[in-house]
Amino acid sequence: MELLEVLKARVKQLQASNVPEVMVNKAELAPLGNDGYQDPLRKVVAASPVEEQPTPRGMDESPAWPRSWAEKLKKEMYIRQLKVERNLSIAASQLPLERKAKAKAKAERKAKAKAKAERKAKAKAKAERKAKAKAKAERKAKAKAKAERKAKAEAEAKAEREAKPKAEAKAEAEAKAKAEAKAERKVKAKAEGKKSLKSPKANGAAAWSQSHAGSCRVYAHGKPRVAAVKKSVKVQKPQRVLENKDSSQYKILQQTIQSNLECFLFLQQPEEAERFLLLYHSSPAKRRHLNVDAYNIVMRSWARKGCLRRIDRLFSMLESVGLQPSLDSYAAALECMGRNQLSAKDVQRCLQQLKNDGFHVDELFQKCLFEKDEKEKVLRAIRIVQPDYQLPPPPNPQTCKSSLLQDFYSKEKMVSYPKLDFSVQELQELFQQQLEMELNTTVTIKSVESAKPLPPQAIKARNLLATLRSQWHSSILQALQKSKRSMSRLKMASGSNILYPYLYLLPDEEYVGIMLQILNTLSPQGESVAVLARELGSKVYNRYITQRKLCSRQLEKVQEVYEDYIHLLAKDSQPVEYLPREYWEKLVAEAGFGPSLNLKDCSWPYVLLMRLGMHLLEILVQAVKVPRNILNPRLEPRLIPVLYHIYSFRSRWQVGLIKPHPVFSQIVSDAAETMLTFNSSAIPMLCPPVPWTSPHFGAFVLNDTRLMRFVDGAIQHQLLLEQCPPVNLHPVLDALNQLGNCAWKINQPVLDIIISIFNDKGNEKLDIPPPISEAPQPPAAPSNSSTWNKSQKHEFLLCKKKAAEMHSLRMDALYKLSIANYVRDKVFWFPHNMDFRGRTYPCPPYFNHLGNDVTRAILLFAEGRPLGPKGLDWLKIHLINLTGLKKKNALQERLEYANEIMEEILDSADYPLTGRKWWMNTDEPWQALACCMEIAKASRSPDPAAYISHFPVHQDGSCNGLQHYAALGRDLIGAISVNLMPCNVPQDVYSAVAQQVEEFRKKDADQGVKIAQVLQGFVSRKVVKQTVMTVVYGVTRYGGRLQMEKRLKEIEEFPEEYLWEASHYLVKQVFNGIKEMFSATRDIQKWLTESAKLIAQSGQTVEWITPLGLPIVQPYYRSKSTVLNCSMQNLSVKSSNSNQKPDTVKQKNAFPPNFIHSLDSTHMMLTALHCLRQGLTFVSVHDCYWTHALTVDVMNQICRQQFVALHSEKILQDLSKFMLEKYCRYSLPGGKPPPLSVLPTLIPSPGGGCAQMLTGCVICLGVALEGSCASFLTDVKNKVPGRETRDLWQNKLMEQLSNVPKTGEFNLKNVMDSTYFFS
Amino acid sequence: GPGVLTRTLLNAGVKVVALESNLAFLPNLQSLENSLDGQLKVIYGDFFRLDPLVAGKLKPPAMCSDKLFETMGVAAVPWRADVPVKIFGILPQKKERNTLWRLLFALYECSSIYRYGRVELNIFISEKEYKVLTAKPGEGRAYQALTVLWQVGCEIQLLHMEPWSSFLTNLKSGGLAVAKSTWLPNDHLCLVRLTPRQNLFTEGLKPTSSSTFIFMVKQCFAKPRSRLTDRLKSWSLHNGGKLLRALEIPKNAETRNLYPEDYRRLFEALQNSNMLTETWFHDEVLESIRNINI
Repeated sequence: MELLEVLKARVKQLQASNVPEVMVNKAELAPLGNDGYQDPLRKVVAASPVEEQPTPRGMDESPAWPRSWAEKLKKEMYIRQLKVERNLSIAASQLPLERKAKAKAKAERKAKAKAKAERKAKAKAKAERKAKAKAKAERKAKAKAKAERKAKAEAEAKAEREAKPKAEAKAEAEAKAKAEAKAERKVKAKAEGKKSLKSPKANGAAAWSQSHAGSCRVYAHGKPRVAAVKKSVKVQKPQRVLENKDSSQYKILQQTIQSNLECFLFLQQPEEAERFLLLYHSSPAKRRHLNVDAYNIVMRSWARKGCLRRIDRLFSMLESVGLQPSLDSYAAALECMGRNQLSAKDVQRCLQQLKNDGFHVDELFQKCLFEKDEKEKVLRAIRIVQPDYQLPPPPNPQTCKSSLLQDFYSKEKMVSYPKLDFSVQELQELFQQQLEMELNTTVTIKSVESAKPLPPQAIKARNLLATLRSQWHSSILQALQKSKRSMSRLKMASGSNILYPYLYLLPDEEYVGIMLQILNTLSPQGESVAVLARELGSKVYNRYITQRKLCSRQLEKVQEVYEDYIHLLAKDSQPVEYLPREYWEKLVAEAGFGPSLNLKDCSWPYVLLMRLGMHLLEILVQAVKVPRNILNPRLEPRLIPVLYHIYSFRSRWQVGLIKPHPVFSQIVSDAAETMLTFNSSAIPMLCPPVPWTSPHFGAFVLNDTRLMRFVDGAIQHQLLLEQCPPVNLHPVLDALNQLGNCAWKINQPVLDIIISIFNDKGNEKLDIPPPISEAPQPPAAPSNSSTWNKSQKHEFLLCKKKAAEMHSLRMDALYKLSIANYVRDKVFWFPHNMDFRGRTYPCPPYFNHLGNDVTRAILLFAEGRPLGPKGLDWLKIHLINLTGLKKKNALQERLEYANEIMEEILDSADYPLTGRKWWMNTDEPWQALACCMEIAKASRSPDPAAYISHFPVHQDGSCNGLQHYAALGRDLIGAISVNLMPCNVPQDVYSAVAQQVEEFRKKDADQGVKIAQVLQGFVSRKVVKQTVMTVVYGVTRYGGRLQMEKRLKEIEEFPEEYLWEASHYLVKQVFNGIKEMFSATRDIQKWLTESAKLIAQSGQTVEWITPLGLPIVQPYYRSKSTVLNCSMQNLSVKSSNSNQKPDTVKQKNAFPPNFIHSLDSTHMMLTALHCLRQGLTFVSVHDCYWTHALTVDVMNQICRQQFVALHSEKILQDLSKFMLEKYCRYSLPGGKPPPLSVLPTLIPSPGGGCAQMLTGCVICLGVALEGSCASFLTDVKNKVPGRETRDLWQNKLMEQLSNVPKTGEFNLKNVMDSTYFFS
Repeated sequence: GPGVLTRTLLNAGVKVVALESNLAFLPNLQSLENSLDGQLKVIYGDFFRLDPLVAGKLKPPAMCSDKLFETMGVAAVPWRADVPVKIFGILPQKKERNTLWRLLFALYECSSIYRYGRVELNIFISEKEYKVLTAKPGEGRAYQALTVLWQVGCEIQLLHMEPWSSFLTNLKSGGLAVAKSTWLPNDHLCLVRLTPRQNLFTEGLKPTSSSTFIFMVKQCFAKPRSRLTDRLKSWSLHNGGKLLRALEIPKNAETRNLYPEDYRRLFEALQNSNMLTETWFHDEVLESIRNINI
């Protein structure tokens, strides 16, 4: 058995060792001697006569190689030569073995034994013989099967070879490749010969391949097959690699071509565009990357110039490659005709052709995205032949049919949209401010630190920095221009340079500005190359998009529509019964803009973005220099780079970092600059956001915003949203618009207190990060670090880590507070978008209501509402909620408690920093303080009920994930424990589980289970809480155990030696407890997981649609990375692509939590929409809903109603139906077969065995193949599973998907009366 | 383990101190210890978890080298003196590379076991790592930072090669529990003797500065095809060209083509020219040590 292993391993190795030869065409010195005996062929080769005087490769690279260097190499070569010779003896002993394998194979093929003469192997002779004997036996049995096999296709042979014993495998390979290889060998030998004549100074590489060829000739009679095998592997490998690459890179390449062409269009360089297109068009191999869109872009660029002849030519090019012109092609042709005022005959012919291709003239205006004056020109052309032609009427607006929103969208119940406290005039001005800010792309604002007094050295440092910056500006500009020049020269030479157009899109100054901005924001710890490259690339992209919006007159149109749109919101205009989206669409239709408000999709592939970023980063690193002696005049004056590039080693991989030189960091820190520059999209909007009307349009005026956030490079979501009928997205878009339309303002007194602490020394307890000057100092000066002992080093590292953490916390707080301070007197808006599960987020990244306690405390609704009769009570209850004190008490008790401590509350409000500071010892101190102040003001007003409050009151879901699970499964006990059932006091699921676990433990302890006894007195709410919470989000037993271990470790008295066992036991009991309480929940979770597993194994990604109609796809793929070769360093870029196989584990584990998140987001959106109908102000932080104190009760009611409505839908049944249709279409009439990547995991063997048997079967293939088994295996090998196999797989999936888990007895209606459901 | 190596050594007649990290094997070894007359000493401990950087109490089998050497009764000797003690062992396959790196840091810093002098290691390592340790410049993937640093630090001798097939496997698949190796041969377990060089610290290289040397070599090999001049430039070092000329290293030399001694000379030249005194390298060096010691 072991011997067989050895044999297997050896063949594997032989195969593997061929790889480097294929990949590394410049073979290095290494193969000559290093690899030892394991590759006898090489040895033989190395010793062949051609090789006798090898010359080191370095020699011809640099003729001026210093002598010592060359001599060293020579000596080395000599030693190696000796070694080679010594190894030869080993090789010689190995050789026969190799040969024998070959011979055996040959014999096999001819069914003759012939190879006896060569039996000379020493060391492994025995093994060999055994194997041979076996092979012989096999051979006989196989004789028949073999005759058939001979005729089989090559692909099949490959598959076989992998599964079979190695000796056989070789034979196969040999047989297949022999003919091929022979021919190839000849050619190669010739070629090599020529080459060597040309360059007598043969380098190492040439020598090697030469000798290889030579050896083939030498041994041509003796053992041709050895060479053949090698060659065959050589020939096959790269091809396969290439194909794989192609399929996954195809899309990216296509996208790259198009964005390149778009660039030329933007630059108005039709000649360049066409030249680039021809590059692909003229090569049959590259042509397949072109689609009609690529040709259209070139047509459009000619159309703009009015060159009809060129467009004609492109049409014939399209025809020549068998592509159909699309609507856009005709639009371009007509536009061009419109520009030239052509004769009616030409236009007529064009229109006729358009009709012949199955299009209608009206479609041009309904579907094409026109830019600039394109539309007018097309219309003009059409009116040459049809003078009365009228634009088609806009399509009738569609209404969403979702049963959950019937009321919401019904025309009868339509109410007018709530007004803002602004006039049309004022909103107009706000819009102008916002537009101006976005046109500038960046905003520079005063940081809150500017209030601090300036240290004396700062002025000097600032002046120095200013001088340096102006120097850097010009040196970067120079470097950029130089690189552009060399690139355009390169372009002439090689025909294409991928980055060439991208460096011309913006004025040079803008590129320089972007690079300097990166330099200014680089932290002293440095940043990874990949992050910087991405930032640079996307900054260029964003500015390009802005430019395009300006040039294509898209902005003009948006501006025009927005001016009318604000009438919906302004207090001095007529009430309008439209939703923002509907109103916007109506205005667009009335203005006759059609779809052209959308920009043509022109996103850049991620790889391209990174490449561009790397190019700019390289320029930056090269160009920016500083005199070394700038801070220390004693040093010699010399320019050194400001940025250095270094690698950081993380366990298995290395990360390239860019770090600023300490000299630079010193100047920056001395200068203590107080201006901050942000992208305009980081600032909240100063006017109501543009409503979302499609996945491409909404939010900011100019800044490109995605409706759905996703990881870089993922395109699946965007595709899915585009394919989705627009009407299905209406509810989601309307919900996002509703959230984005909430106006905010700053709570100034609270902000001022926070800033005062921030500018003093910070306060870690209150979550105000202290300045870096407060960081712990390392014990000694770093210069003599080498003499430190272990603990000193440790301490130093800890200090450094702490300082780095403090710096990033401080900067984060600085950004947030500075932005808040910037808008302190303004009203502002947070446009929203969502993640792929529909969870919503505000777009501005730093300062928003999703932030921490500090940021939430400084936000107020801009709109004020009277408190009403119960408002003050709600404020008080809210305050107690924020303290985290009376969690287990009823609302009434919380209110009473608040009244009891009124004195403390008022003291906190009046003397926040000098009084008794009650607020500081609460869970959320800053929000508590803000609430204290609000209560103080309200309670002191003459009529608290009339007091106008801007304060948001929150209502939190209690363990929201489990609430959805319990409702889905109608689990009675579970429902009670997560407050779906009315109760007098709030229920706490964690305590309930802890109790349950304690019961189990007691029982076990009584029965003498040791670990249960050890755990006596240690089972508590705290121990189980994290695990219970994360069960919803799919925590596994493994993860759960780690959590438990952590908790138990925190308990000092717990005996350490039992940690593992105890945590293991506890997690098991927690899972059991949950199962007991939420029995259906566990079943649902299991069902979701299993379904996702089967779907993913079938090579598909898990998709579903939320009850609101949002399509969702899980973006987890087995990521493939592309390596970008850049001169500074290679960058591995993960590319996510729909062609890739799904990551089964992630697809499976993430499905339950993602599905639950898609439900909680649906619940939130439903609540948001219905709150809008009731005139409420509503925003959310996922499962925490905010509104005015006046409207808390109404919001609570809506929230419950919508929860009941949502779960009254047949959610799981609908999911099952959807997935059956999606993944089991094949079993339904007219369906397509599933993809075949299924095979390795899913093939059930005919005898009812399992898939594991497969390998075994194939191995015994040669022995006996009979009846169905044989045909089954043939099917497998042909990679076309039989009907039977596919059916089996389908049945399994179908059974799983249709088997929706049963639910419990809980009556959902109870939620309506549950006080603590959200509280 | 079961004590095969220990028994072999005992049979050779030497005095043996055996470190056993697995409690399951301990009783057997202890009874062996008792049956011999002081020729064997068994200690519960893990040689490959000596002196971890983490602060706090050490939990056995992790242990501190001071204690180990005290128990063994071996005193520290000067670096240039003879080998004070010979260590035999088999590197755990899973963390082979990590262990090699940790030993290397200890060697260059004269810390841990190397505080006691030029401790000779006789260790079984996989063939692929052996190939790395003994690679020559230009040998593609085999020639690595680890190569340079070990060759500068130690004399490396191959004592024995044993095919993997001589070993039993406990994998369910019946395969060998050996990491697959694509680029380098890996058919054997190699017994390698690593003897620290007497002249390691004679010239510019000192235990105090050596972590910078290690760091420099690692940086150079992060992209082995890059030119040395570019590397020097990327560290904000000026005068790189002049330095290389003085060292007779060609301007366009790639980092993978430099000999171990060249790296040593380069480092010494950098030190002499005071270019490494500027503080920025310092933090990175410490960081890299931390990463190894985790």
